[in-house]
Amino acid sequence: MSPAGCSHVNGYKVDNWKQNLRVIYQCFVWSGTAETRRRKAKSCICHICGAHLNRLHSCLYCVFFGCFTKKHIHEHAKNKRHNLAIDLLYGGIYCFVCQDYIYDKDMEQIAKEEQRKAWKLQGIASCIGEKYTTWEPTKRELELLRHNPKRRKITTNCTIGLRGLINLGNTCFMNCIVQALTHTPLLRDFFLSDRHKCEMQSNSCLVCEMSQLFQEFYSGHRSPHIPFRLLHLVWTHARHLAGYEQQDAHEFLIAALDVLHRHCKGDTINDNGKKANNPNHCNCIIDQIFTGGLQSDVTCQVCHGVSTTIDPFWDISLDLPGSSTPFWPLSPGGDGSTVNGESHLSGSTTLTDCLRRFTRPEHLGSSAKIKCGSCHSYQESTKQLTMKKLPIVACFHLKRFEHSAKLRRKITTYVSFPLELDMTPFMASSKESRMNGQYQQSVDVLNNDNKYSLFAVVNHQGTLESGHYTSFIRQHKDQWFKCDDAIITKASIKDVLDSEGYLLFYHKQFLEYE
Amino acid sequence: MKAAVNQKLTEMGERDRLKELLRAKLTECGWKDQMKAHCKEVIKQKGLEHVTVEDLVVEITPKGRALVPDSVKKELLHRIRAFLAQHTNNLEY
Repeated sequence: MSPAGCSHVNGYKVDNWKQNLRVIYQCFVWSGTAETRRRKAKSCICHICGAHLNRLHSCLYCVFFGCFTKKHIHEHAKNKRHNLAIDLLYGGIYCFVCQDYIYDKDMEQIAKEEQRKAWKLQGIASCIGEKYTTWEPTKRELELLRHNPKRRKITTNCTIGLRGLINLGNTCFMNCIVQALTHTPLLRDFFLSDRHKCEMQSNSCLVCEMSQLFQEFYSGHRSPHIPFRLLHLVWTHARHLAGYEQQDAHEFLIAALDVLHRHCKGDTINDNGKKANNPNHCNCIIDQIFTGGLQSDVTCQVCHGVSTTIDPFWDISLDLPGSSTPFWPLSPGGDGSTVNGESHLSGSTTLTDCLRRFTRPEHLGSSAKIKCGSCHSYQESTKQLTMKKLPIVACFHLKRFEHSAKLRRKITTYVSFPLELDMTPFMASSKESRMNGQYQQSVDVLNNDNKYSLFAVVNHQGTLESGHYTSFIRQHKDQWFKCDDAIITKASIKDVLDSEGYLLFYHKQFLEYE
Repeated sequence: MKAAVNQKLTEMGERDRLKELLRAKLTECGWKDQMKAHCKEVIKQKGLEHVTVEDLVVEITPKGRALVPDSVKKELLHRIRAFLAQHTNNLEY
């Protein structure tokens, strides 16, 4: 099996061979149109035994179809000295002299083009993106590989990517967010494949520092890392977080995402190949991963006109029972209470409960009348939030820190959260079908778009005045580790699910091409 | 009867759609990776310079057939049955 084709095809490559070959592909291998399909259905049977299975091949020199398994095509090749045939199932070219499939560059090119054309005509889903092709190293890449012969093998239980972080003085709030970010798969892939092109002149690009951080985490060093440069950059760009007092991990997350988003300018290219300079339509890696769309529908109670706005979000902040905002305790027997397989001990709240409360229609009282566009006057209305577009990584923030005028306290109510989360009931599209009377949502097994998996949990222990942040992060499929500043220990799934939960990070299970 | 079924499936483009569905299912459940690994073993055994496509086909076909998960078989059978049920009127035996 030689990668350079074989010499026997030269006999075939005469006259109008390219066009002839294309016709064979279009008619008998990858039939794109109804007409070619009909012809294929009728004529693609073995000329000797009439079977249509048995790896049917077509002779390249004349109109003859024969089974490969029963050697009918071999007979034909010998008798007529036609030494090339094409496999009608996969389009491979077989040479009877070499007695193997051959890979001729020109023919491969034609095959690829015809396949793409046929797929496009049929609208088969796999033609949306680029068809997967194997990687061929360039000369430069071969050079680099030879000069750096050391290879790292990732096995199912290797701990690469895990590294402790030294606490530089109440910086545990930063450490656990760093742990969550360095274990976000898409972000990791972005940085490890060197996709950031820095445009900042000074040395204060946070994205460059993140890149460095990923290098440190995946270097294989097991000693804890000291993130002093990261801390300094954060203080520079987010002044409100500077100082040695304990800060809120959630605030840090949002500030960090914001700075990263701003510093990613060099990486955002819009469709025209020009640099995108519109901050609202950014396509940087942060937006690609973390930005979702929250739909707010305000319905006028008089004319029932709906006014809709969609706002981008990086996280969902959820009110908890026991806070001073009214919480609707949803009965355990309510529909969908076991949708996400959460442990529902009587009375305990689940993440799904919080999400249901978040997306429930809220009656805005008579003191909060909204001006209705159709009624042209102030009317009472209801407001409802739903998810218009889900981000690839969804971060849920359980509002445990209450800072109202009267009291400052921490709400320690246990909220159970699942390993796998289906966001379908909270989507704007689900709400629309409910409103159109389709109450029974047929569980669409094939629609995997809204399914999420937990991959990081940030916890806070202690009180508002003095507390400590730790995090759980997931490696590989089901291995969890507890990160307590510099100390990393193995954790069980039970440890994770029994923890209080402050920030919950979920990752989409299935990623589609745009 | 097999030929008539095949003809109908091909004509309506259903065959190609089923092929793509099968391809996706087998990749998802890891079958493709298992087969790839087995192919590599066979190639190591026979030697890269001497192995032919035919060798591989002979070696991996039985294992490939055995390793297809029942759920995949069930789903495809279900799809084919549903399709035929829809189009039985046009089928000529």
